[in-house]
Amino acid sequence: MVYTKKHPALLIMGVLLLAIAAATQYGVLDGVVGYLKIGSKTGEIVNLAYIFGAISVVVGAWHMWGRHEEGNLDYYLSAVPGGMFILLIAMIVTWFAAPFVAVISKSLGPVMADKYLHDVLGLNYVVLGILAGIITVNVFRIPGWAENGVRLSRLGLKTGVILLGTLYSLAELAHLGRLSVVMIGFFVLGSVGLVLFLGRRRNIPNSMGGVLSAGMGVCGVSATVAAAPVVQAKPTEIAYTIGTILIWGVGCMFLFPVIGHLLNLGHIQFGAWAGTGILNSAQVAGAALAYQPDGIETLKVAEIFNITRVLFLPLIVLWLAVWYVRREETATGMQVNVGKVVFEKFPLFVLGFILMFALSSTGIFAPAQHYKGKYFDNDIAQSKLLTEAETGLLATEASKVQSPARAMALNRLIENRKIMNIDDDATIRGLTNANILSGDANKVLKKAHSAVYHTAKMVSAFRKWITWLFAFGLTGLGMQITGAAMRQAGGEPLVIGGIVGTIKAVLSLIVILLFVSETI
Amino acid sequence: MSEDNSQNIDLQQEGKAKFHRGSALSIFKSDRREDLVALACALLIALGVYVFVA
Repeated sequence: MVYTKKHPALLIMGVLLLAIAAATQYGVLDGVVGYLKIGSKTGEIVNLAYIFGAISVVVGAWHMWGRHEEGNLDYYLSAVPGGMFILLIAMIVTWFAAPFVAVISKSLGPVMADKYLHDVLGLNYVVLGILAGIITVNVFRIPGWAENGVRLSRLGLKTGVILLGTLYSLAELAHLGRLSVVMIGFFVLGSVGLVLFLGRRRNIPNSMGGVLSAGMGVCGVSATVAAAPVVQAKPTEIAYTIGTILIWGVGCMFLFPVIGHLLNLGHIQFGAWAGTGILNSAQVAGAALAYQPDGIETLKVAEIFNITRVLFLPLIVLWLAVWYVRREETATGMQVNVGKVVFEKFPLFVLGFILMFALSSTGIFAPAQHYKGKYFDNDIAQSKLLTEAETGLLATEASKVQSPARAMALNRLIENRKIMNIDDDATIRGLTNANILSGDANKVLKKAHSAVYHTAKMVSAFRKWITWLFAFGLTGLGMQITGAAMRQAGGEPLVIGGIVGTIKAVLSLIVILLFVSETI
Repeated sequence: MSEDNSQNIDLQQEGKAKFHRGSALSIFKSDRREDLVALACALLIALGVYVFVA
């Protein structure tokens, strides 16, 4: 069978991409760029649009006028139009739609702490990409020439999950408190087990239960995406899981700070609770900042708990691999050899994630103590030190600082003209957030922080790749979600997610009230 | 599209053609092959970043 379709769509998409690149490069889109505040992205727009535009034109011309014979070349090249169709939509969402939503959201002002509506609702390129895919397939249908390529989306997601390992390092995770590992371990494994149990009781498909358990147990989109192929989850089930996590996370983000203040929780107690009970990283940060808008102590604890969950991802995937095959094969009456299952079914891309994590921990991409590509290093050039005038300004305002820890960190900064250690850096950031000093003094504090807190270029590059792979994969995933499939899946995942989420939040609060003091 | 057609992306057909689910979601013959291609892509990207960004 010859798969290639003689259709001009790829050629047209290529020309469109080249036009976007040229219009951006020569300033035709300056008005749009200014309105959407995407000036920092113009380089990326020009480069990517030129590269993929050129590829589309060449392959599109080959599709139109070349001679096609049955074989691997024909099969794999026939996936290019569909792949480019997804990518074009992902580009429009990432470059234009997501910034547009952000502009509208910001014009409405902050709705919680310093968070805007799009932050609170998680309306980023990920969610908008899935929505764009769903709208495309349900309103316009997938054109025949794109059908083959739409099936490339899972490859993009898997590649993204593997590269996700580069954002973390063992050295940073080694600093985690024992309490966070024990608590997160208990609640991650407990949540996964509970979802699987409830799923069986309420007769949802194994694939739905498996993917929902990973999402509810570990956290967010990455865990869902990593677990999906292991339990052969349908796109609808993945979308339901992501929807459940986001809806639950938004609710928790508003509710947790209120309950925290009612119970008069300390910063560490609240951070530990938010990091355990809220599922999505962005919403964990939102709740922590809402609870303590004048510092980052709560945020730091919440992030430590959030990071710990990453450790459990490979373990959960392994568990789900064995569980899924046992459930499926038990139904057919076949004996299961667990060792064989692990060998045959364990997804290699999760091993890839571990491999990248190991490479990242050696310091090959960034200093070994980095976390998500950021690291502290105060061995800086003379030009980066604070000036006499700047330290003088801080000295005149030092008396406003009441907290002894903040006062000591500020004094050390004034004496040395740079932040001396990572703890001082966190304290200074807390002082900046608290807005105790004048605006000018706060600018000096921010400058001091920027001078010692570095971003690894290679990890930034990996983050861009991950962003695009996820945008591509999730837009394609959205294109596989039909209205009929959503109706068939029903609302059961939301019910199970709600039950497990509530139990997790209440139990973790009780544990924290009983066992967590203000020190970890 | 029929169940026998590997181009079928309508997941409503999956109940009847469970064995083909992988091919409904992926252009590759098996999950293992897709994993290997993803791993190769990731390693290529990592090498590219290491060589060009460093």
